[in-house]
Amino acid sequence: MGDTPRRLLQRLIRRIPAQELKPTLEKWGRLSQAQLQTIDFTQSKWALTGKLGTICEERNWAVKHITELELIYVIDNPNLGMWHTFQLMDPRDNAHTVELLQFKEQFKSNLSELIRNVSVKIKKHTDEAVWIRIAWGDGLSQPNHFKPTYVVHYLQTPYVFVTSLNSKQKPLLSQALVLATSYHAIKDANLSGRKFTAIRDLLMRQYEQVFPRKFHSPLKERNQIVTDPHIEREQAESSANRLQMACEAFGGGKLPQLQSAVYKLETKFRGHNKSMTQREEPIRCVVKFASTNILESLRNCASSGIASTPVTPLLSSIPLKGRNYFVITDNGPGPSQTRQQN
Amino acid sequence: MIISVVKTPRNSDGAQRSSYRQSYRSYVGAVSRLGLTSALTARRLNTSRRAPRAHNITDKVSPEHLAVLVKKEWQLSYVTPLFQFRHTQLKRYSQQLSAFIAAERQGVAVEVEEPQHSFKASFSVVHGMAEAEEDAETILIQVHSKHHFSRRDDPEKCVWSGWLACINGSPEYIRSLPKDFICLPLFGSSGGDPLTSSVKSWFQQTFDCCFGSLEINHTSLQWLGSLWTNCQPESNIQHLKMIWAVPVVPPLQITYTVNPQDAWELWTCVRKDAQVEKEGEEEEEEEEEGIIDIEEVNMFMQELKSHFYRHFKLDLSAGNLVQVSTALGSAKTSGRIKISNSRYMISTLTLLTECALLKMPV
Repeated sequence: MGDTPRRLLQRLIRRIPAQELKPTLEKWGRLSQAQLQTIDFTQSKWALTGKLGTICEERNWAVKHITELELIYVIDNPNLGMWHTFQLMDPRDNAHTVELLQFKEQFKSNLSELIRNVSVKIKKHTDEAVWIRIAWGDGLSQPNHFKPTYVVHYLQTPYVFVTSLNSKQKPLLSQALVLATSYHAIKDANLSGRKFTAIRDLLMRQYEQVFPRKFHSPLKERNQIVTDPHIEREQAESSANRLQMACEAFGGGKLPQLQSAVYKLETKFRGHNKSMTQREEPIRCVVKFASTNILESLRNCASSGIASTPVTPLLSSIPLKGRNYFVITDNGPGPSQTRQQN
Repeated sequence: MIISVVKTPRNSDGAQRSSYRQSYRSYVGAVSRLGLTSALTARRLNTSRRAPRAHNITDKVSPEHLAVLVKKEWQLSYVTPLFQFRHTQLKRYSQQLSAFIAAERQGVAVEVEEPQHSFKASFSVVHGMAEAEEDAETILIQVHSKHHFSRRDDPEKCVWSGWLACINGSPEYIRSLPKDFICLPLFGSSGGDPLTSSVKSWFQQTFDCCFGSLEINHTSLQWLGSLWTNCQPESNIQHLKMIWAVPVVPPLQITYTVNPQDAWELWTCVRKDAQVEKEGEEEEEEEEEGIIDIEEVNMFMQELKSHFYRHFKLDLSAGNLVQVSTALGSAKTSGRIKISNSRYMISTLTLLTECALLKMPV
């Protein structure tokens, strides 16, 4: 077994936590049950690497088999760093009928035409997601398998999620994607985060969204501490209203774990100072909201009154538009701008 | 002969010390944090300050000292007055502290004069920082480590540094201290916790003083933000960054960064309005260029919060201001301070000295 596959295997075994190792290998499916039984998973990782390395040598496996294993692990544990979202624009006629096989062939051939020495591995996951692992080389060097880019695309949707892509690789990937999916262009969707499932759920609206149009009675407070019927809460109605509006804006149940939202503001001054408000030029500032789950935090702000309800469109745009980077100006909406409410 | 380093000064001044405390308490009266009771006490944060001037501090303070002080993040504490601390005895203090640290680590008594301690402390005076007449000179303490296994020529690594300072301390307070007490209320430390607590213990035992953590409250943070913004025309502050912590579940952190030029313009407008109001009240036209009032600071922050509110409908006052930073330095409510530009070091330390004096229980 060559040096690269050995090193790749070593790094991969180190990365996979001990309890995940057996299930991942089982999913991989290249080792028979009998072989899996022979491996003692209570050994140290070093010993395991040696044992697996021997098996790989016996079966004459190369880099592509190891990268397959890596892709399987990553699909279940996609939190590798920052994920960025892109959106495909202007579909061609047949964009909605692009099938997996067609996409795979086209993508691989396009990318190989654009850059020599690139290694692509594509796998379709059970939930309609197509996972692509790209190891980049260039005209002179072999693909670097130690810094792969991961791309996830949901067929028949215009969304693409990417991680570990540098600025040189971006145009190549963009072009290959656009051609393979039969769209005309691709743009930044202004949504990024560390938790892949969170940004996917947010963008594709796969979470419990309670957008009540009509409630028979105001939403009850979830934590009703008061049990004595003689005690009346003064502000019961207004707090129920706040809770309802907060849920309308952000959703009712468990929210995707988005960790930050950034707003770049370039708007005229909106304080009280007369001379500043008369100033023509905008004030430039950047506001960043950060939390382990900003959607929950913001919903809590709205329901507790820290943020006034109804929730301002600036904040409710996060779940509504599925983005967390905004440039706000006083002008009309641009391609990556949101209209400022005066 | 092994001499124990840990020695409490056993002299007749013990009685004097406790009586000093009693007499000072009655002098001060039952003072609340803001000292609103008696005019004599004036134990409150200043409501007006001089605008920070760029001090050409490089003329006065040696570059080596500046290099140690600037660009490092310090954890602040307040220190009560030190009894019989002499600026002339620094060499002896260095030896004693080195031995004390060695003793703490080994758990046995250690000879003071022994040259081969693995940790070597050194005290030095930082000349040029004291502003007012009553200010004591700043003391710099550094602890260098030298492994027993390293060769003689290997450079010693500085593993801990700290300083004691009093910049523009309240003259009435300093003059009111009994003889033999030196006022160096501000202590900054940078380095591992064990060494920090060793140094503090040594000070407490040798000079009968008390250390306490100095949190920087939001008023002081607002002061620092405004004072730094005031420096924009002379030194580009690059940004005015403020961080609020909002108490929701899960906790939300809001970072509000304003363009320096825009912050400066807002500050000037706020000051102009405030001056106009002041001139309306007072008959004379005073040249108030160098003085900044707390109303101006509050108004400045309020305007920034209003601008934020109009966009996000979120009231920042519901949260706590936890950090302010610019290119000139950063300050956190936990008591961590970083001074990135030596030109405004004196003004920043003046404000912090005041905070320390205010927080002291004595």
